[in-house]
Amino acid sequence: MNSLGNEKEFKPPRLADRFLHWFCKPALVETIQGDLYEQYQIERARSGKFKSNLNYFIHIINFLRPFAIKRTGQNSNQSIMLKHYFTFAFRNLLKHKQDTSMNLLSLTIGIACFLFIFIYVKDELGYDKFHRNYQDIYRITIDFIDNNGTRIPDATTPPALAPALLNEFPDIAEATRVFPMWGGSYLLGTSDNKKFKEKNILRVDPAFLQVFSFNLVEGDANSALNDNNNIIISSSMAKKYFGNKPALGESIILYRSENREFIVTGIMADVPYNSHFTFDFLMPITFNEIDENWGWYNFYTYVRLKEKTSISSIEPKLQPLYNTHADLDEGETPNIIYSQPMANIHLKSNLKWELGTNGDINNIYFFIALGIFVLIISFINYLNLTVAQAFKRAKEVGIRKVFGAQKNSIIAQLVVESTLVILVSLVLGTLLTELLFANFESLIGKSLSVFQPLHINFYLLMCGVTLFLGVIAGLLPALTMSSFNIANVVKGILNKTGKAALGMRKSLLIVQFTISAIMIIGTMTVYKQLQHFRNTDMGFSKDQVLIVPNNSSSNNKQNFKTAALQLPGVTSVGLSSGVVGGLNWTFTAGYPNPVLLNYSIIDPDYIEAMEFELLAGRNFSTEISADTIDYAIIVNEKALADLGQDISNVGNEFPLMEENDTLVMGTIVGVVKDFHFTSFKNEIKPFVFFYRADGHSNMTIKLSAIDLSASITELEKIWTKANPGIPFDYYFLDDSIAKLHLSEEKLSTILFDLTVLAIFIAFVGMFAMANLVIKDKIKEIAVRKVLGAEVKGLVHMITKNFMILVIIANMIAIPISYYIMKLWLNGFAYRIDLSIWIFIGSASITFVIAWFSVGFQSYKAAKRRLVESLIYE
Amino acid sequence: MKGTNLGEFEELIVLIVGVLYPDAYGLSIRNAVIKQSNRNVAIGAVHSALSRLEEKGFLTPRLDNATNKRGGRRKKLFTITQAGQQAVEINRNLRNSLWDKIPDIAWKSLSYEFIR
Repeated sequence: MNSLGNEKEFKPPRLADRFLHWFCKPALVETIQGDLYEQYQIERARSGKFKSNLNYFIHIINFLRPFAIKRTGQNSNQSIMLKHYFTFAFRNLLKHKQDTSMNLLSLTIGIACFLFIFIYVKDELGYDKFHRNYQDIYRITIDFIDNNGTRIPDATTPPALAPALLNEFPDIAEATRVFPMWGGSYLLGTSDNKKFKEKNILRVDPAFLQVFSFNLVEGDANSALNDNNNIIISSSMAKKYFGNKPALGESIILYRSENREFIVTGIMADVPYNSHFTFDFLMPITFNEIDENWGWYNFYTYVRLKEKTSISSIEPKLQPLYNTHADLDEGETPNIIYSQPMANIHLKSNLKWELGTNGDINNIYFFIALGIFVLIISFINYLNLTVAQAFKRAKEVGIRKVFGAQKNSIIAQLVVESTLVILVSLVLGTLLTELLFANFESLIGKSLSVFQPLHINFYLLMCGVTLFLGVIAGLLPALTMSSFNIANVVKGILNKTGKAALGMRKSLLIVQFTISAIMIIGTMTVYKQLQHFRNTDMGFSKDQVLIVPNNSSSNNKQNFKTAALQLPGVTSVGLSSGVVGGLNWTFTAGYPNPVLLNYSIIDPDYIEAMEFELLAGRNFSTEISADTIDYAIIVNEKALADLGQDISNVGNEFPLMEENDTLVMGTIVGVVKDFHFTSFKNEIKPFVFFYRADGHSNMTIKLSAIDLSASITELEKIWTKANPGIPFDYYFLDDSIAKLHLSEEKLSTILFDLTVLAIFIAFVGMFAMANLVIKDKIKEIAVRKVLGAEVKGLVHMITKNFMILVIIANMIAIPISYYIMKLWLNGFAYRIDLSIWIFIGSASITFVIAWFSVGFQSYKAAKRRLVESLIYE
Repeated sequence: MKGTNLGEFEELIVLIVGVLYPDAYGLSIRNAVIKQSNRNVAIGAVHSALSRLEEKGFLTPRLDNATNKRGGRRKKLFTITQAGQQAVEINRNLRNSLWDKIPDIAWKSLSYEFIR
């Protein structure tokens, strides 16, 4: 009630009313609007303005029914005009084939890039969201703190954590431990002797199925993991092992020194690709006495909170809980425990020992920026071209006006044309996107499609936005043109009104070329950084090196090794516990300052097979038994320095660490040159080799350059002889090393392709602009020629203006890209310098493109026959 | 000739127009439909049905005086015509006669199944 005591009246949104008036039969408008008005008053009294307005709109849209819509008969003015618009639109588009195809091309490419990137990004952001209550699922992780106080991020936790959490915090509904294979593999088989080597096995607590919502196709999720001999397998594994026979209740045998039999108690739908870890088999954890073990960092801990509870009530209590249990020495800094929302793990977590390969949120930001860039470029292009082309048609508009065309119908004509182009390019863009997805499947590691139910809404939204922008792009020139002064237009006097538009078009071109230049610089920098990684001496030889992983189950390692060395194609065979480029175990040593050291257990041949360069001392030797005991070590330079030792001290005993108040001595047998065993993002860390006769799970085979495939076939034969029934698994070391930079590799490829497209669009834009400018100047050129101007001078006259735009674009692009790429490079410990050549290179590329798009046309124009030019209209 | 029979929703509207007499117009009819039959209908749906019924000659409109409540707009008040009355009666008779023709045993077997 207002001060006058009258009931307050609320005004419904005017736009909606206008819309109603526009489509509704005049006879019905009054009563309908009255009803809506009344309803609106009731709603506004009850709820907010926004909600009421929205409802008002919805109700009006609901009146879009045959009974209420204005009849437009077949011969009514409107429908005849509509037909007319379409006829003319088609005629116009066909008449200006060059312009039309340029419009279509640049828009199609822009739409395709945008769709491609955004569906990819959306997919990346959608990881792990298929779990019910995924917001309630958290991973608890513990980062180590070494004695220097350095924090070493790590995803693993001790097995006692999960039970303790469940005990301590009533808000936690379920908690499970996950124990993966740690790079190992099992030989599994059915009772009828089908055997396969399997790596994708997780050992979990029964609560696993309650924390996550992986779907059991068969079996009971509440009891499927209750017994120690239960196993859950994925549907594809069920097919692999049992074919089409029912798998539930069948047995799977784990072949080891003692075979164990498991009963299949559940069949699970295959783990979706958008899960941050995957597996094919689930077995219960059967280790003894782990519930009190706070020192074995080999488990992952996942918890699901009860609904409507928040992690913030638990988070501050995690550290105290951990501190009371962890066996802390006096003054020791405890490790740091914290939680991660599960949905964030895929993109934001990059700890040591992640369960799967995670994405990188920075790359996602990069991609989003690129997608928007390309879309902007292509829309600018479209806008630029339509505005420019519209001016060409000023005469047509003038004539139309003379014959009595209203402002509205001229606008409608242009909007219909623009919408047609947009619709066609939407269709083409969608097809192109699908094509891109098919081509990039191996690179992005999954098959995506616009039409996946997951993405269809986004796609429709995208279509809507594009159409909207298209209509705007049609409206803009339409509004300027429809207000032309008829008399001037018919006479062709347009220059005054065209000036402002020309300025706008120029600045749009600058924006396009700036973005292109930034992208070129980015592509070149990323490419050079990757080249740097590929070409730098890693400190070992990675070519023609074959790794045979997970052979701990084979007993005939030595036999195989001896036999393999007989082959002409095999140079040397080494054994090791870890693989360079993979993850390494660590231990703490150093006196008086302990440091964290990576280590690998090897045999002497390993140093040879990997071609590590010995700087001092000697390799391990099979003759010297002292090498295989205690702390006789080969170290890299970094470890040598971190342990406080000097090259001169090699071979002598030195205090390695303090254990229970006694000094443990060690001997450095040899020093190898520093080598890169992680990606270039990290500094080289200390590395230590031990020599033991056992404990090697990987074999490194150095092949000579002759016929690799023959050597591999031979090796496989020997393997099958030495280990009957076990498949021969191998990979090349250089492949696995290349994977260290997989995400940069992805970035580089996508960036390169996008840059090519962006350049292409910019090229089209400039080409069309030059085309228009030159057409305007044909008479001028002819007159100049008559007066004695040379072709060279004329070309220069036209191109000069465009080159100035390119120079400005480069001047803007260089500082921006310098800053961005500097940031990106700072993420690498070993990086290239941003050399001046990258910038010069990118500037030259933009110049060449601009010259090609303008120079060629202006040359043609300058060479035209004078007579033709002079009568040109 | 276009069908002169009544759809289920149309029948509901005609009856409600009768119930609301003499104050049956778009919005009041909608509110009654929502209240009586517990289904959410849009104003547009009610208007659409009203216009169909008017076309079929089952309802007849007259314009009321403008009120402030409606921003100065008149409302269209509906009353049932003779044809409209006949149409709902035919529907009612048809339904009643069908009800009478269902043998008792049909209901019994239903309850039997239910009990079992």
